[in-house]
Amino acid sequence: MNEKRHMGLRTLNRVSNTSIYVILTIISVIWLLPFVFITLQSFRVESTYQVGYVIPKQWGLQNYINLWNSDFKRWYINTFIIALASAVLITIIQLCMSYTLSRFRFKMRGPLMRFMLILGMFPGMLTMIILYRVLSDLGLTQANAVPGLILVGVASSGMGYYVSKGFFDTIPKSLDEAARVDGATRFQVLCKIILPLSKPIVIYTILTAFMGPWGDFVFARYVAFGTSAGYNVAVGMYSWLTNDQIARMYTTFCAGGVIVAVPVTILFLCLQKYYVEGVTGGAVKG
Amino acid sequence: MKKFLAILMALAMVLSMGTFASASSELAGEYDVTIWAPDAAVALTTSQVEAFNANNEFGITINATVEPVSEADAATNMITDVSAGGDLYFFAQDQLSRLIQAGALTKLGQGAAAFVKDNNSAGSTLAAQSGSDYYAYPLTADNGYFMYYDKSVIPEEDIDSLEKLVADCEAAGKNFSFELENAWYNAGFFFGVGCHSDWITDNDGNFISIDDDFNSEKGLIAAKGLYSIVSSPCYVNSSNTDFASGSAVVVTGTWNYATILEQLGDNFGVADLPSFTVDGQEYHIGSYSGCKLLGVKPQEDAVKGAALNQLAQYLTGQECQTQRAADPDQGGLGWGPSNKAALEDPACSNPALVALSEQNAYAIPQPNIHGSWWDIAKVITTDIKASDGSDEALMAALQKYDDSIAAVFEMTDEVRNAFTVIGTVAGTNWDADLPMTADGDVWTSNEAFEMEAGTEFKCRQGKAWDVAYPADNFVVDAAGTYYVQLDAASGEVSLVPAE
Repeated sequence: MNEKRHMGLRTLNRVSNTSIYVILTIISVIWLLPFVFITLQSFRVESTYQVGYVIPKQWGLQNYINLWNSDFKRWYINTFIIALASAVLITIIQLCMSYTLSRFRFKMRGPLMRFMLILGMFPGMLTMIILYRVLSDLGLTQANAVPGLILVGVASSGMGYYVSKGFFDTIPKSLDEAARVDGATRFQVLCKIILPLSKPIVIYTILTAFMGPWGDFVFARYVAFGTSAGYNVAVGMYSWLTNDQIARMYTTFCAGGVIVAVPVTILFLCLQKYYVEGVTGGAVKG
Repeated sequence: MKKFLAILMALAMVLSMGTFASASSELAGEYDVTIWAPDAAVALTTSQVEAFNANNEFGITINATVEPVSEADAATNMITDVSAGGDLYFFAQDQLSRLIQAGALTKLGQGAAAFVKDNNSAGSTLAAQSGSDYYAYPLTADNGYFMYYDKSVIPEEDIDSLEKLVADCEAAGKNFSFELENAWYNAGFFFGVGCHSDWITDNDGNFISIDDDFNSEKGLIAAKGLYSIVSSPCYVNSSNTDFASGSAVVVTGTWNYATILEQLGDNFGVADLPSFTVDGQEYHIGSYSGCKLLGVKPQEDAVKGAALNQLAQYLTGQECQTQRAADPDQGGLGWGPSNKAALEDPACSNPALVALSEQNAYAIPQPNIHGSWWDIAKVITTDIKASDGSDEALMAALQKYDDSIAAVFEMTDEVRNAFTVIGTVAGTNWDADLPMTADGDVWTSNEAFEMEAGTEFKCRQGKAWDVAYPADNFVVDAAGTYYVQLDAASGEVSLVPAE
């Protein structure tokens, strides 16, 4: 009797495990299919338009060569500069901001935090037109869109302090005090005590700061309109999708998609073990 | 005094004529110009500008930056910031009104307008026009659609009949690609039976009204024709190069010629659109014929503006259009010319352009169309497809369309509440509403009218007769020039003599 029940549980376990794996496999296939599809299409060289089959009849690198010979290089460098500069500057500003709000007590601290919370509730797109005017008066649009977009990305970054401030709050203040007693300055406390303890949140900040501009489309299109030299990859590649171009550029577009995914994938692979920790890290204590 | 004024004016006229006459020589100089052209046309346009620099008689040198901006996107990009937009730009004709309203197009002077009228086909001239003014230079007249087909599936003798084409596709298990859930394509069925849909614009690019008879007996015939194809399992709503994915017929335009030629090889077939049969009568499917235009952005520097107009005339002239019309493998773009002389040129005719010109016999030149129409009219096909094909259901779809376009011109509250003067006033005969302005409850006509004794009128609200004063027509006793005044609270109408 006992034996039988035991067997029943094991079978039940196996059945439920199998069905869970089947479901997960189906979901992952559905989810991965577009990526596989794009990658395969990017190696198709017998034609450049959309076709009704997935596996190329002729394999080759012609699409990547076309990319190299188009403006794509320029767009890629633009995007990379914007994303890299934003990642560095936003990370520095955001971490300093969080440290200040977590450790310092000053008169307007509370109102300031609330004010930034409220400001953050307005959708950023609302400011698009006025930002465009400001950038255009500064001469930072069209061909000079790269510094313009960095400026826009960095300018408001201090407001994204919540997650890392939450994480800093969980580090005991007694550590700071001990360091201060030993003669460390505030800055040294941040660099030598807090940051080494906050690796996950630093990584998380870098990743999100990099990813934002990397995939930016709406604002980048608005600022760089009509000037190929100022496009980022998303805007540039979108210009290949018009009615008159898509039949000529479709496979090149797929190749571009693959190339765009490369640095992001590398970045994630290198940093992913910190990433999960970072996303939930700040949630322990608000 | 009057004499003195006349002399002064005459002097001013002579002076201004003098500046005009010497303008051409004053055009000499270097100009930095941004040109927006579609990606495929960038290289050709660059070399054409160089040719202009080398050969123009005015001594103009253009330092051109040619940016790849698709003509389909031009208006969206221009409207972002006109001052930072391209000085010359290619655009599809349906953007004309939007661009005029955004102040992104220079109105052509008399000479330039004559150049456009004299050199281009009638349809393309119409496309560059708003009201009686011209705003752009026609570049092509090839924005139309016709039929590509796979000769291995469709026998030559079937290409004139929609029913036979559909039957052939069904029998071979192939698709029929026709993007009918798009107003640009489905309107062809209505034009084929003789329907029309015209939007009327004023000189400032504003839409005033629409004259449309899609919702009629003729329209019902077109709807039946539409139903016969959209109800078939072989119908695919697409205008892409679908031969690689199972289509035997694709309705699309010249821009896909090179790709389809490559896809079909020896089986390549191209023809004008077929006819459909309703109640034993054949109707050839019509189409829109449209064009691409070249716009000149208004310039602060009038001299630069004049130089740009010279460049635009060169770029849209016979020589440049012929170059663009050449096959892509000969350095051209395969764009069908709008220039009359270029149209005659045998170098400008690949099979696709021949099919297009055959279809053009049934095509309507695409006029200025209100932006909302495309979304309203495409629903006709969706509704017909969802219906059971009965006359009632088809008529309901057309009625819905009719209601939607009527709503576009529905009056604003301001118009609905305003009073106007109507009668035998100022040369009108109960057919025009003359505006009045309110001050509290008292409405006064904007102008003073010369009225004879016996002139009759009323003041009415919202251009309707529901509220109108006085109850019987107001009759003028003594001739004179008067403002019309109405106290809306009491309904009392009076005349106020003008000083």
